[in-house]
Amino acid sequence: MECVTKAKDGAEVLVDYCSGALSEVRAREIEQHIADCSGCRQLVESQRELWRTLDAWATPEVSEDFDARLYARIAQEQSAPLWKQWMRRIFEPAAPVAMWKPAVSLAVACAVLAVGLVVRTPAGSQQPQQMRAEQVDIEQVASALDDLEILSPHSAM
Amino acid sequence: MNPAQPSPKSRVKRDMEAVAALERAPLEADAELMLRVRDGDTTSFTLLLERHRSPVVHFLYRMVQNQAVSEELAQEVFLRVYRSRATYEPTAKFTTWLFRIATHLALNWIRDGRKERGQESLDEDLIEGVERQVADRQPTVEQELLYQVRLREVRGAIEMLPSKQRAAVMMHKYQELEYSQIAKALDCSESAVKSLLFRAYETLRSRLAHMA
Repeated sequence: MECVTKAKDGAEVLVDYCSGALSEVRAREIEQHIADCSGCRQLVESQRELWRTLDAWATPEVSEDFDARLYARIAQEQSAPLWKQWMRRIFEPAAPVAMWKPAVSLAVACAVLAVGLVVRTPAGSQQPQQMRAEQVDIEQVASALDDLEILSPHSAM
Repeated sequence: MNPAQPSPKSRVKRDMEAVAALERAPLEADAELMLRVRDGDTTSFTLLLERHRSPVVHFLYRMVQNQAVSEELAQEVFLRVYRSRATYEPTAKFTTWLFRIATHLALNWIRDGRKERGQESLDEDLIEGVERQVADRQPTVEQELLYQVRLREVRGAIEMLPSKQRAAVMMHKYQELEYSQIAKALDCSESAVKSLLFRAYETLRSRLAHMA
């Protein structure tokens, strides 16, 4: 068997092996492998040691009046005015609401609208400018031709 | 049972009913109970609280490392569960939803820097933990001191992890949640969870290697 750590998710597999999350067949494969591979054996041993160390972290018991305090809060909330209860539901949702998602959609929509306006406005106003430019050019050409005509020796004749 | 107006007598009666109900239906699915809460059955809420009170408080305690704050946040978790009973839909495992709420509150608390304000009681908790150990196993003074040092190091190493990594480790190591559940709780992909966990364990292994 090729070394587990050489696989893309090799180290994760070893962590899963230590936490007992692998299937029996896969766990047996890893067991056989670590018997021969010192690198993997070392990683597994250090991970197991870490778990033993983390196990030492005991947590204190939950306070006896936890439920009483919770029910008091529920009662307090239920006796609050309806508008307040609704405000809480909106601004303190149970699961987090990804506010950025609608915000991003709105921003993209605004950006598209803005780009559309910018692109469209010059297109509409460019035409008269262009026409005016063309008119000026024609006038200039005409006057230049007149000048040339006046200056030409044939016109004096 | 009426959780809105609990008198001492009714609370005792309610607790007894809840325990009896737990004995009758120990394997009843959480989502099923939550649907009953949605339909107005408050005894089911008591059952859910009975089942998940300790895991939620302990998870939050390890996240914020302060007992008073962890209980305060856990109360907020159950309050939000109760508040949203009317709109509850069992789209995911109940525990996933519960830990999503708990993680969200813990990460917000850490982000808001409220940790510094509640720091005073951290050492108090530490002593409390040691006292329990003393009562349970009657260790020698030397063992007590050694335990204190180990505990302090473990807490310190975990505290130094980025908050998302910390949450992932707590849910994986202590709550034994699946990758998919942790992913939903942290609002990221399963591969991102694996990566978070691997980096966190790597850091912890190196920080706590001297304790082996």
